[in-house]
Amino acid sequence: MAWIKRNWTPHEADEWTKEDWIAIIISPFSYILITMGMAMSLFLLPMGFLLLAIGIVITIIMFWVIDPKLSVISSAYEKKQKQYLENLEQIQRWEEKK
Amino acid sequence: MVQFAFLDYFWTIAYLVLMIGCGVIFYKLGKRSESDFFLAGRGLPWWLPATSNYATHTATDTPMWFSGWVYAGGMRGMWYSLFAGWCAISAWVSTRIFRRSLAGTQAEWQTLRFSGLGAELMRGWMAGWQVALSMFIAGWVGIAMGNVCQYAFGWPLWLGLVLFSSLTCIYVIAAGFWGVIIADVQQGITMFLTIILVSVWGAMAAGGPSAIVAKLQAMDKSWMLNPFHFTGFASGDFPLLWLITMVAVPFLGGFGMATHFDWFVEAQRIQSAKTVKDAAYSIWWGTAAVITRNSLWALAVLAFFVVFPNISNQSDYQLAWFRVGFETFPVGLVGFFFAAILAIHISSIAGILNLGSMYATRDLYHHYINPKAPEKRVVLIGRIMTVVVLLGSFFFGLMIGVDVTKWLLFALWLMIAGTWLPNILQVIWWRFNVWGYLSAWIANLGVCWLVVWVLPAYGLIPRLPDYIQFWLLAALVAIIYIPVTFLTKPEDMDRLVKVYVQTRPIGFWGPVKREAERRGLLQAVHEIEIKAEKEA
Repeated sequence: MAWIKRNWTPHEADEWTKEDWIAIIISPFSYILITMGMAMSLFLLPMGFLLLAIGIVITIIMFWVIDPKLSVISSAYEKKQKQYLENLEQIQRWEEKK
Repeated sequence: MVQFAFLDYFWTIAYLVLMIGCGVIFYKLGKRSESDFFLAGRGLPWWLPATSNYATHTATDTPMWFSGWVYAGGMRGMWYSLFAGWCAISAWVSTRIFRRSLAGTQAEWQTLRFSGLGAELMRGWMAGWQVALSMFIAGWVGIAMGNVCQYAFGWPLWLGLVLFSSLTCIYVIAAGFWGVIIADVQQGITMFLTIILVSVWGAMAAGGPSAIVAKLQAMDKSWMLNPFHFTGFASGDFPLLWLITMVAVPFLGGFGMATHFDWFVEAQRIQSAKTVKDAAYSIWWGTAAVITRNSLWALAVLAFFVVFPNISNQSDYQLAWFRVGFETFPVGLVGFFFAAILAIHISSIAGILNLGSMYATRDLYHHYINPKAPEKRVVLIGRIMTVVVLLGSFFFGLMIGVDVTKWLLFALWLMIAGTWLPNILQVIWWRFNVWGYLSAWIANLGVCWLVVWVLPAYGLIPRLPDYIQFWLLAALVAIIYIPVTFLTKPEDMDRLVKVYVQTRPIGFWGPVKREAERRGLLQAVHEIEIKAEKEA
């Protein structure tokens, strides 16, 4: 899985990359498979157990892919949040017009 | 009529005191500031807003419409409940963007994303609309409680609505969002355990899962266990085209903001989360709990179906889940079940009252009427507005009456049809301006009533299936907002650059990104990051 990037700098993490798209694509399937798989499993239907198992596996993969990137985005953003806003205002010389 | 024994009364009263008391305890935190009263101080770990998402979206009406769909359509009806699926993509896209904007409300986002008079009009419009909508949803959830109490105790419809919503209002007034969030955790855990208990109990009363399957087969209804049992591409009750709509609309809606009513509720929780990651995880896991809950409900509803297969009146069979609890639980546990229903009810009403009050206070009073109001005054107005939203909910609740499911389809799907795509475009396309967006909202409000209610009532157009109505409304409103967008100027580039640098939206922002790079802003932001890193 070398093509999945797991070490990010804040600069790299700010861009939308294939790791985001992997999470975006997997996530709906995860919800669908868990919903339908669990409902069918509660009636002890074999297809339900299969769908649920696939749903759980792809959910784990999704978090494995997105978590490192999200952690870096989050950490970088929160550290500079206050300063970021103040500096950005100075850089742009932008003021709200009421 | 449900008969209560002493133990049942004990559970109910003890639980009511516990829930309201739990909220009131946080009175001191709620009154500290506007940010505390409406966003719990913006410092919550992900699991708190996640539990609150789950608790708020499990309302008294929820098992009703879910029962209605599954009783009538089997597991196919569960696709309706996947409207919550917008969180699947939103957690990784629009939640991240919105959290970075730091906008307190979706209305406030309008004055960040757009500029000038149009942005102010849009903010005012969205705030007013959201206040009215909060009243409508609180009324809709409240009248569902009225229906339950009428069925269980023979009370008049208004009593269940007024009594329990008013009790909820006590702790929302006292502690604001702190009270909502803390009570939600307690309520969320209680209701999840009860939902498991009712489903297991109901299934056992019907003979167990295998017996339910065998009975459905004997009734020639085994298709009810197949969520993929469709009646053709565009024909019958459950065509494939319907499924495509049910899946595509919510999931793709996750790229945008406000593509669904629940967005406004989630937006408050997104901003209450401590970090961007906490916000994303709260949305994803809160909805994961919601969809798991739906699967558990399906078991209870189909168990009910095999015992009572011939109920034809929707307002009767939509009570399936409640009847499983009330009619199969033993004395003593019935009171516990009713206490759990109160938890379901109170958590949703509390969240909606605080949300409606937030838009009325932050976006209307504080932004337009009294921008220099001190924090204490703003919190006081927040409390008054909580009562105003409560009173409005009584009006809407009594208007809705008994037919909860019918209203839900209109409110959930058809009133958002025309703004669905504009809500995505505002996030993913730099050229989409405020005039296009505002025109879409106004046009949608008129067109949805015309197409769904007025024109069919006069026989001018046929009554179309809901999924056809959705795409028709989306197309009709697009005829208005697309020309408006291109005939008016793009947003001010300074504003677009600011939004881009701060929130990093996904999609078609090429010209804005190039301008931000030309001005050296992206580099400047990373220098700030490096400086902050070194300081840390």
